[in-house]
Amino acid sequence: MNSLLVELISWLIFFFGVGAPLYLIFAAIGIRGFKEITSYEPYNTLLYRINPIVKIALSITVMIVAAITIWWIGAFLTIAILASYLDLKNGKRKLVIGMLFVVSTVVGTSWGYAPFVTSSILSIAFPGYHPVVIWAWPSYFSIMGYQPQLTLQAVEYGLQISFRTSSIMMSALLLVMTNTPSQILRTLHKISIPDSVIFSLMVGMKSIPMVFTYLDESIKIQMMRGLGSRHSRFLKPFYMLIGGIHAIVPTIIHLLRGAKDIAISADTRGFRATKKRSYVEDIRFTRTDYYAVIIIVAILTTAGVAILLGFGRTIPYVT
Amino acid sequence: MNAIEIRDLEFRYLGSKKPSITVPYFSVSEGESVLITGKSGSGKSTLLQCINGIIPHIMNGTRRGETYIFGEPVSKARLPNISRTVGTLLQDPERQVMNYRVEEEIVFAPENFNLDKDTILQRMEDAIQGVAIESLRGRETTKLSGGELQRVALASVMSMDPRILILDEPTSSIDPEGTREIFKFLKNEKGKRTIIIVEHKVERVLPFVDRIVVVDNGRIVLDGPTDRLIEEAHNLIDLGVEIPSHILIANKLGIRASGIDEVRRIARERGMIPHERARSNGGPVAFRAEVSVSYNKNFRLAAELACRAGTIHAVMGRNGAGKSTLLKGIIGFIDKDQAAFSVSMDVEDKKLRNPEMRVAGRYLGFLPQSFDLMLINNTVEKELNYSKKVRKLNGVDELIENLKGIFSLSDYAKSDPLTLSQGQRRRVAMAAMLASGAKIILMDEPTSGQDYMHKQNLGREMAQLKGLGYTFIIVTHDSRFVYEFADWVTVLDFGKVVLQGTPESVFSKSEYYGVVPPSEFVLRYENEQLAS
Repeated sequence: MNSLLVELISWLIFFFGVGAPLYLIFAAIGIRGFKEITSYEPYNTLLYRINPIVKIALSITVMIVAAITIWWIGAFLTIAILASYLDLKNGKRKLVIGMLFVVSTVVGTSWGYAPFVTSSILSIAFPGYHPVVIWAWPSYFSIMGYQPQLTLQAVEYGLQISFRTSSIMMSALLLVMTNTPSQILRTLHKISIPDSVIFSLMVGMKSIPMVFTYLDESIKIQMMRGLGSRHSRFLKPFYMLIGGIHAIVPTIIHLLRGAKDIAISADTRGFRATKKRSYVEDIRFTRTDYYAVIIIVAILTTAGVAILLGFGRTIPYVT
Repeated sequence: MNAIEIRDLEFRYLGSKKPSITVPYFSVSEGESVLITGKSGSGKSTLLQCINGIIPHIMNGTRRGETYIFGEPVSKARLPNISRTVGTLLQDPERQVMNYRVEEEIVFAPENFNLDKDTILQRMEDAIQGVAIESLRGRETTKLSGGELQRVALASVMSMDPRILILDEPTSSIDPEGTREIFKFLKNEKGKRTIIIVEHKVERVLPFVDRIVVVDNGRIVLDGPTDRLIEEAHNLIDLGVEIPSHILIANKLGIRASGIDEVRRIARERGMIPHERARSNGGPVAFRAEVSVSYNKNFRLAAELACRAGTIHAVMGRNGAGKSTLLKGIIGFIDKDQAAFSVSMDVEDKKLRNPEMRVAGRYLGFLPQSFDLMLINNTVEKELNYSKKVRKLNGVDELIENLKGIFSLSDYAKSDPLTLSQGQRRRVAMAAMLASGAKIILMDEPTSGQDYMHKQNLGREMAQLKGLGYTFIIVTHDSRFVYEFADWVTVLDFGKVVLQGTPESVFSKSEYYGVVPPSEFVLRYENEQLAS
């Protein structure tokens, strides 16, 4: 192949891996999109009626199954959970945001691993490893730590890792989008999770949407002060990334100042006053929850069968 | 028995050489209402934290002496148990409220105390009625205004039925209507339980308390009946306490009246009325903006704003009137997928229509309420030079040096801005914004949560900058600040401009739109004459 063409394609692949996730996160999803998929909104469909305990169990199940089975089972779980977003308030929009988020995670994580993974690791990961070369990088790419060739197995390895995280993130977001912090507090208290853990989770649930609000405001102010003002609009996502990085410290400090007040607010209102806590609204286990439990059992069973059929992927993927 | 008693108390925070509070003896009787005031950083909040048990149970530091709540030492009780007796309302409701629905927030404390369901529901009903928030039932806390949220937070504290109620600057970050409701509640509760309120708005709280305590430099420097405020008025101003104008006049007149109507009558009889405030007419119109924002069918903002060069232009109105939306519309901070909006503006002989933020930023500077979010650099010096660096501005070195002088930042040039005090951080943020080269400065609630001394400093700085050609547009609820420093006022209501003019002309009609005139205005002018 023409060496110039090889150079061009190599750099295109490189910039795709680096640029596509950034574009998806900052331009396509945006800070408002992140806020939407990390906030609870009241609604009354099946997903909102399922007991939070069941949703927590689902998240744990998804985490286990995605970790111990082959990548396409993780991918299937991700797609199934994403499809369930249609049942949420503004479901279509949340599905689109979720999909963009998954794509950015998969592309970013796969590209973060695939070019760097060595054949020694791949030979452990894939018994009887016969590399299928997809692309040969120019030799000087090794300066960036790239392996000389990109193999199909390396991409599969990257996908394996990315679908472990994407399915877990999607199921965790489902819990956050369909339950209020107090519902989760009640649930976790009932299953005897320590108060300190519950409180951290509550603070997290309150803080995450605020993180995006503060980051958004800080980035906009930087833009007003001149960030990216001398460059093309095309580079705006890149400058938003720079602005986002600059905004991290003031945002965290602002949040920490708030977190101290939340701790004071809880402790001065009797949090941890007694070992037991009473509830005005009790969370009941309904027929819907039993159906959901059957689905969880089915997922676990499928994972077991998959492992028995040789689709387990546990030990080699030590990441 | 005393509800609160403090003996030989001294507390210093970790790493601090000087004690933040030293109190040889202090007590509050059961049923008494006490106002604690003093400038920011004087030790008021530390004193409160020694009473409600935050010190020593959450805050670390060196402590000696003891606080007793109904005879029980605070240091020996568990904090959740102290909260059965002492209820605390914090300054910022957004940081206090942690539940999604109003009812969930109110029952949070009784549920923590493991009360039975019927008792919890009864407590919730009592709290809702006591704080008069029936209209907020079923609402989401994330969609409430600051004033509504603060009343929900208050109801959640009241649901504990505390014998001692502590209110830490409860109105500092809320609108006048929310403030009025909080004070109405205070009036009803007076005498029913022991109340301690920390507040800068001395003028508003005075009728509801029995006693005033002034804290300065970590010590109680005044403790007595509210009449002492009149006697000590001029000394207290030096301590950063916001003394109502009519009390200063009463003090000058040598009378003990504290009611504004009586003071006005006597002052007029004796020919002592406040002098007329000078207002800048400014030069030509430096900035004109037409903003239209439509969030949904329920809210639409359509407003025009014109500001003369070298003036301070205040935008006032009820919560939800559209003030912040107007500001955000001007600077383009509104998400286009959330609202239909358009802005056209004339600035520095240029016509801009829906400019990008980075373009608008050449002419407009914006100081948000959470100004910490602006401070992205690790030294004050770099913060001031940020716009110069990213815009590649030439000839601004002198401006930056001048700003360091105006805002007293020269000594902190190498310091990390986020480690400075609140007042210093605000000055760094303001100087950094001015160093961008923009001459039209927009500020969202710049006086919110600030004590009298800091507000006066801010007003003086702005007055000085006016002389250098800067024009300010400020959104504020602070009538006194506006009367003292602004040249022009625009009042919004339901997204429309309903009043415009000098503070004198606007305050004569503004109460109808939720803008309470300050006491200096009431003393100076006969409302009925202005209205005619």
